[in-house]
Amino acid sequence: MRSQFDKQLALLNKEMIGMGALCEEIISKVLKVLADGDGQLLNGIVTLGAEIDQKERTIETLCLKLLLQQQPVAGDLRQISAALKMITDMERIGDQAEDIAEIIPFVVNRPAKADSLLHEMAEASINMVTESVDAFVGHNVELAKKVIFDDDIVDNYFTQIKQELIAEIIKNPEDGECSIDLLMIAKYFERIGDHATNIAEWVEFSVTGVHKEG
Amino acid sequence: MTKKIFNSVITVAGIVLLASAVIIMGCLYNYFENVREDGLKDELALSAAAVEDSGISYLEKVRSGSCRITWIASDGTVLYDTVTGTKSKENHSGRAEVQSALETGEGQSNRYSGTLLEKTIYYAKRMEDGTVLRISVSSATAGRLALGMLPPVMAAFVIALAMSGMLARRLSRRIVKPLNNLDLEHPLENDTYEEISPLLNRISRQNNKIKEQFKELKQRETEFTQVTACMKEGLVLMDKHGIILSINPAANKIFGLTKDSTGQDFLIVYRNHEIAQCIKNAMETGHSETQQPGYGREYQFDASRIESAGGVMGAVLLVFDITEKVMAERNRREFTANVSHELKTPLQGITGSAELIENGMVKQEDLPRFTGHIRREAARLVALVEDIIKLSQLDEKTGYVKEETCLYEIAEEVVENLGDIARKRNIDIKISGERVVICGVRKLLYEIIYNLCDNAIKYNIDGGKVKVNIEKTKGNAVLTVSDTGIGIPQEHTSRVFERFYRVDKSHSKASGGTGLGLSIVKHAAAYHDGTIDLQSVAGKGTKVQVIFPLCSQNFHKNY
Repeated sequence: MRSQFDKQLALLNKEMIGMGALCEEIISKVLKVLADGDGQLLNGIVTLGAEIDQKERTIETLCLKLLLQQQPVAGDLRQISAALKMITDMERIGDQAEDIAEIIPFVVNRPAKADSLLHEMAEASINMVTESVDAFVGHNVELAKKVIFDDDIVDNYFTQIKQELIAEIIKNPEDGECSIDLLMIAKYFERIGDHATNIAEWVEFSVTGVHKEG
Repeated sequence: MTKKIFNSVITVAGIVLLASAVIIMGCLYNYFENVREDGLKDELALSAAAVEDSGISYLEKVRSGSCRITWIASDGTVLYDTVTGTKSKENHSGRAEVQSALETGEGQSNRYSGTLLEKTIYYAKRMEDGTVLRISVSSATAGRLALGMLPPVMAAFVIALAMSGMLARRLSRRIVKPLNNLDLEHPLENDTYEEISPLLNRISRQNNKIKEQFKELKQRETEFTQVTACMKEGLVLMDKHGIILSINPAANKIFGLTKDSTGQDFLIVYRNHEIAQCIKNAMETGHSETQQPGYGREYQFDASRIESAGGVMGAVLLVFDITEKVMAERNRREFTANVSHELKTPLQGITGSAELIENGMVKQEDLPRFTGHIRREAARLVALVEDIIKLSQLDEKTGYVKEETCLYEIAEEVVENLGDIARKRNIDIKISGERVVICGVRKLLYEIIYNLCDNAIKYNIDGGKVKVNIEKTKGNAVLTVSDTGIGIPQEHTSRVFERFYRVDKSHSKASGGTGLGLSIVKHAAAYHDGTIDLQSVAGKGTKVQVIFPLCSQNFHKNY
């Protein structure tokens, strides 16, 4: 009975990591599109988004099955409930990546300063996602805390980009639409950072049993 | 073991007990029966004698007793019965013993009671007056006797049960103890029952076989580990669930792993969707490959399914470093594109001008201008082809003879040849340093210095300076060409030695040149085992240093 349970838990863990890998893949693809303007990757992003949705369903079913059939307690229960919460955040990350990919074709001629800032911001938020998945894989509370802390960096980038874009709109009001689109992209990256933070918080909960301490 | 011994003992004890009880009972019963019958006959004879002698009065006297004596008249009516003590009208002539007594003089019969537990033995005797005297006694049957013997037999059985239990335990313990103490590592050295020595022999043989197989396996494993450890390619073996069975050091390096990850899930060890997908595909279809960048290099991942006995056993993942291949491919693609572009541009100029002249659209006075243009473009084409030939010769690395050459002399020659061009742009070109002799190919060394100086002039500002310095450091000859020109931006410095690479992407012909100069310098320097060091600050100038090894002492002996 227990060995069957362990097997299912291992499967859950594996599926979660697989979903994390999908999230990393989709945002690194988005970053590539942003950097190279390679329109061919856009199709791949949509496919990846669908795959993430599929994965969410699979994990959800698995979690519910585990809860119903095994009636887990203590650490196991924490792990499964945390997984249930995490996949929601991961799925949102995938959605936001898709949203960014949809906007990118409209922001071809963007101002250089904002572009480099956006690039740094994108890299910072991807880093957060990678580290939050790493924290989950290694049950690493320290790394999870670092991710939670890093959210401020991404928030900072967002403020900077916002200011930069305001100045840009004042300078070139006719290019306002592009600036607004860029702001949207920045906002999406900021949201991705928030979701990574959520994941990290759930990792912390699944390991220590404390959610959002202090 | 105890149970088995106990069962055998109790079975034997039970059978013996039962058999002896039956036999003893049979013998004893027969014996007692005979004794009793004889006694009864004697009693009957005595009674008959007494009745004949004293009549009914005798019978009246023996009323009590375990025997019942009945005097029956010849017609069957009872004259006297010692139990009832009276006459009775009951007719006994139908009884078997009475009938046979009436006929033969004597008769006997047994009658069982309803429960079969008791039987009555009758003896009858005809007396001389024709009447019959019958004696009867009731006695226990064999069944009753057996029933009576049941409690002692049961008691004996219980005792046998208890004793055989104890015996079985002690026996089995005694039998098993030496077996438990067997030394199975050295089965032949045991001193125990000789009945189990065949078993010990077999164990010994099997032990040896296992040892041999283990040794062989160990050796194979060592071989495998050594082979995989020496591999430059990464090798990961995993089972059908993706658990790593074996991973070689090269793979550890590629995936950036520091500790042994055997037994872990590959996805946990290296999380990459594409590779995970590749492995999954391989498990399903047999083979799959993908290209992925990792840690700044480009890798090719080949996953293949391992099958055994019709089932999927796992997968093997091979990782190749294809960074250089990818780079070389990119360079070759760019080279081809550039060559065709570079060759086409002058030809188009020539064709255009020639067409205009052919159609008579060029005025007589403009003709020299157009023919001059054709000539210049053709010369450019020739220079380009010459450079390409030089490069391909350098690629081949043949056709050159090394001799003692003075770098300073070549530099002087170069400066003399470039003097006109430099003077036109008012650029000051100077040589300094010492006369250093190295062994090299004069033509190639000329190309190196010429191309470096040519670039230094070409990408200089009007009125700038070019300095050529040749000096000797320990074991090396150092050629330095520095200018005060436009410089090369930082991001281009690593690529200017590539063929046709231009800092100015527009391939502008303003500065002339083929775009192959520095590439020739690089290859020619490499031919002389030289190294190139390029330092440049955009807008300030460029300094190129080529460091050649000096002539080795035994140069003359070799050539």
